[in-house]
Amino acid sequence: MSTVPTKPRGVEWRYLRDVLRVLVARDMMLRYKRSVLGLLWTLVNPLSQLLVLHFVFSRLLAVKVEDFLVFLFIGIISWNWFHGALLQATVTVVENRELIRRPGFPSAILPAVTIASHLVHFLLTLPILLALLLWQGLPLGASLIALPAVILIQFGLTLGLSYFVATFHVLFRDTQYLLGIALMLGFYLTPIFYSLDAIPEGARQYYSLNPMAHLIGSYRAIFIAGSPPSLQSLLVLGAVSTTLGIAGFALFRANSHRFAEEL
Amino acid sequence: MSPIVVCVAGVSKSFRVLHDDRPFTLQEVFQRGRRGSRARETRTALDSVSFEVSRGEALGIVGANGAGKSTLLRMIGGLGRPDDGSIEVQGRVGCLLDLGTGFHPELTGRENVYINGVVSGLTYREVRQRFDSIVDFSELEPFIDNPIRTYSSGMQMRLAFAVAAHIDPEVLLIDEVLSVGDAAFQRKCLMRLKRFKTRGCTTIVVSHATNLVRDLCDTALWLDRGSTRALGPSESVTKAYEAAMAAPPAQST
Repeated sequence: MSTVPTKPRGVEWRYLRDVLRVLVARDMMLRYKRSVLGLLWTLVNPLSQLLVLHFVFSRLLAVKVEDFLVFLFIGIISWNWFHGALLQATVTVVENRELIRRPGFPSAILPAVTIASHLVHFLLTLPILLALLLWQGLPLGASLIALPAVILIQFGLTLGLSYFVATFHVLFRDTQYLLGIALMLGFYLTPIFYSLDAIPEGARQYYSLNPMAHLIGSYRAIFIAGSPPSLQSLLVLGAVSTTLGIAGFALFRANSHRFAEEL
Repeated sequence: MSPIVVCVAGVSKSFRVLHDDRPFTLQEVFQRGRRGSRARETRTALDSVSFEVSRGEALGIVGANGAGKSTLLRMIGGLGRPDDGSIEVQGRVGCLLDLGTGFHPELTGRENVYINGVVSGLTYREVRQRFDSIVDFSELEPFIDNPIRTYSSGMQMRLAFAVAAHIDPEVLLIDEVLSVGDAAFQRKCLMRLKRFKTRGCTTIVVSHATNLVRDLCDTALWLDRGSTRALGPSESVTKAYEAAMAAPPAQST
């Protein structure tokens, strides 16, 4: 039997907040160090996607969705946050070998750091969204107060999934490639550049199993329809995220003693 | 008698020889087929090692490469679980392990000190309060805003030691890092370690530098292929170890 040394610091929330803070700052500093455009890349990426997808789906394929520009942009930025954070969280344990092998380091914070870093990028694109809304003459309503809740739920959902994939990846290094394929397919199977209305009745029930479809729908309700998102779907999503989070965290914790040995 | 802070009791650990137990990638699964070679080859890294270190005491661990010194030190730090036996550690653990400093080459010394200080167990405010003292100790003030990649390995180690010296650990684990840096800085580190000791910090050092072990440590543990060859006063243990090392490699099977 063994006793793991006491970690007096690891449980203090103030300390955890500081770890989160310096590691997110590190991510931000490293990402665009020595690049000319720096943080502007955060904006170039979704804007270029917006241009291409808008051209393809509004001009070539003539998708009939009202306010398609804003509709599309919301889909792109929320999916990018999910996609980027989950993919990077998969490798975060493996890539932070040095931190994992530091006695007393709260390794469970690593996936949260990744998701928070990508959240910063998501938040940085919101001004562009606001500009597009203004340009398209869409007013911002009181529904905006629901935005933090939707963001929080997406954070929780991504974090819960991250604990699973990050744990699997340490033990099974193919995880990141499998996840890459799953996310690529997910991009097409999530209503990002089309609306749920376009889905045949029979297939719609499967779409309702996709949490990202609900989240993107909620963002669109807030920004385009100007109406609060469905409380029922938010509650269900919140419950799903919490359950995933607890189960994922438990799995991560149960395996974390193996990380130091496997790396 | 001071209270016992680190208690290692009958600790054994063996490692699977890599890639024999669990497939690592899909490719390996396919190549091996369903039954494949599941032979569990294991190598014993530690074999029922026991010792205790009291508060304010220093223990030196010596032994040839591959004797299990680093494995033991990491398990004391809570990294990896022993297969058998128990390890109990009381208090905040600080460490300087052999895995590099954890500094990021692209970031400046200043940025790295903050990151390193916080991940080592200080709050942001505590790092800020100690920042000047850390830089002062490292003697790297003129370079602190340059990227770490421009530092020599000795400079990096100095900065890493300076941070570790400011986190007020109750138990300090050091793995063969003091050999980096010039003689003057080594002396300074040694002084610092001795000051820690007088303040009640328990120290465990893995080192090939037997004179350092003699100078700093009260007791020494000599590991030989995972087993305890000798445990006792650092003076006599290190002398015996030196004698054995100096002798031609005998077939001691």
